Amino acid sequence: MTDSANTAEELFGQGHAGCKGCGAAIAGRQAMAALGRRTIITVPASCMATLGGGNTQTTWRTPFYHTLFECAPAVASGIRAALDIQGVKDVNVVSWGGDAGSADIGFQSLTGAAERQEHMIHVLYDNEMYMNTGGQTGSQTPLYAITTNGALGKKVRKKNMPAIMEAHGIDYVASANIAFPADLIAKFQKAAAKEGFSYIHILAPCHRGWGIKPDQTVDIARRATECGLWELYELDQGRRTRTYEPGLTPVADYLRAQGRFRNLTDAETAEYQAYVDAHYGGWGGKN
Amino acid sequence: MSKLFITGSEAAALGAKLARIEVLAYYPITPAFPAMERLSKYIEDGELNARFIRAESDHSALAAVLGGSLAGARCYTVTNSQGLLLMTEVVYHTAGLRQPVVMGVANRALSAPHSRFPEHGDAVSQDASGWIQLFCENNQDVLDNTIQAFRLAEELRTPVMVNYEGYIQSHTLEEVAAPDQAGADAFLPLVRRPALDVERPQGVNTVTSPEFYPSYKYSQNEAALKALTLIPAIAAAYNRSFAAASCGLLEAYRMEEAEHAVVAMGSVVATSRILVDELRKQGKKIGLIKVQTWRPFPAEALLRLLQNVRYTTVLDKNIIFGVGGALANDLKAAAYGRLHTVINGAILGLGGSPCGAREIKEALEQTEKSEGGGNRSVWIGSDPPAGGTKR
Repeated sequence: MTDSANTAEELFGQGHAGCKGCGAAIAGRQAMAALGRRTIITVPASCMATLGGGNTQTTWRTPFYHTLFECAPAVASGIRAALDIQGVKDVNVVSWGGDAGSADIGFQSLTGAAERQEHMIHVLYDNEMYMNTGGQTGSQTPLYAITTNGALGKKVRKKNMPAIMEAHGIDYVASANIAFPADLIAKFQKAAAKEGFSYIHILAPCHRGWGIKPDQTVDIARRATECGLWELYELDQGRRTRTYEPGLTPVADYLRAQGRFRNLTDAETAEYQAYVDAHYGGWGGKN
Repeated sequence: MSKLFITGSEAAALGAKLARIEVLAYYPITPAFPAMERLSKYIEDGELNARFIRAESDHSALAAVLGGSLAGARCYTVTNSQGLLLMTEVVYHTAGLRQPVVMGVANRALSAPHSRFPEHGDAVSQDASGWIQLFCENNQDVLDNTIQAFRLAEELRTPVMVNYEGYIQSHTLEEVAAPDQAGADAFLPLVRRPALDVERPQGVNTVTSPEFYPSYKYSQNEAALKALTLIPAIAAAYNRSFAAASCGLLEAYRMEEAEHAVVAMGSVVATSRILVDELRKQGKKIGLIKVQTWRPFPAEALLRLLQNVRYTTVLDKNIIFGVGGALANDLKAAAYGRLHTVINGAILGLGGSPCGAREIKEALEQTEKSEGGGNRSVWIGSDPPAGGTKR
């Protein structure tokens, strides 16, 4: 992280419509410290879109466009094309989707833009459920998590989006976590310098959906990385680097602290631990 | 001006090229794809300086040109039928954002059952979207309307759809007179009004409360109404610049002392002209009104032409189930309490079914027989299933 990011002007979040302790808003503030004023942000339907502005007010000090649900990366592709044709070269074009707007309903336009190697950054801010509609299950909801339409817990695993994006052969893929701002900001700075497509997947807890207190948002996010469930790494032109070495605490420290895992059995917790042990460092266990 | 022998697809692509579009996105579909391929070739050959976004779906194609438009570029796309339906969400959204996107639509019937043949059902499905919708009688119209659409869209800040029929126009060669580039440039000065601009940051499409929402819709409707005066003005300017004969809202053909009027849009207008000439030769007082602008609906201009007409036959290559044809329905609504003419709607040409002079003539006869029977819709040229009635 450069010094300029530490002292950056606040371009997001000077009053926003999010909840107290909103992980998404923290992610936005950190990202903007790296991206700066010359950035155009598109956000599909999500909490991030609705908390970004109401009527004649906006919390963004950069151009912000609340897009339709399925197509933020497509819109961003068009914005980049328009800037190119006008000879504008120094503007970051970012689509910033939630887990639904990136991995599920928005996946088609994301994979399309990534395959075209568009010059842009796509951010998936991940609260692991459909929080803008109250907290339903989606593909990014983790195994056994309870949601508002899944009281018995999710039966299948979370889809591995960074791995899917890696398979596109794009310039840059990174995981990030709001509890590690310096790491997050450094990754946005790297992505902004790329000529092609970058994907940054940020763990951004939603305390309402996760069954934690608002002041636990950052603490719980940190535990996800410390226990190995949310590895911090990047693939820079395909080269994989872990960007933070955690102590690999027991996953129970992370899972048991959350209401959404309140029904987790010891066997299920052990299954989670075995999964981390096997797969930390990449699918197939490259730890 | 130069005379060309080109398809409707080529006319659409040429219109977009003469407009110097800057961002193009599309997702291939039949029968719109030849226009797409032609535009890509213009770019690859260096004849058109535009960025092409190879969208992975029709929805994304319109989303991409919308993004381009928001960032200040002149943008164009082409689609039809299922592609237009998939785009629908973005179609409405683009109009709500008042972006001057122009879209060619090579009209094709909607599934199910599957059909790849011409019909207006796709355009009619976007009835309430807020887009200006122009319909083309021939390939000359496709070129003229495409060029004018950019000026209209940009002056009104409202997107414009240029409808031309699949195959009948998209794949058929006709002689077309084309403006030269210098003339097109003079007709279409580029004024950028980016909504997304780092020099002037603003939020676009923020959450809007009930106290604000209706005023956006009111202004959209005002723009649509303004189009009714702007379209004829732009057509007049275009005709002056290029010695063209673009009709703007609508055209009255041989309506002098007409007792029976045919009202139609799209390629069936061309066929109706021939039939009207033939019937006039036989002494029948019949005329034709070509509706070129369907949205907004040019109600007043139409009513003026129909004041002294006894019978009106409206030809619809579309069907709104349980209602009738869209154009007939519009005219009946506009005419309520103001016209004494019998308005008979004829549904014909669905899914590429025949709609030649014979079918149109049958529709006219049905109308003249129906006096006193009330306004209704008749189905022409389609055999009802066994046990069904031909209504």
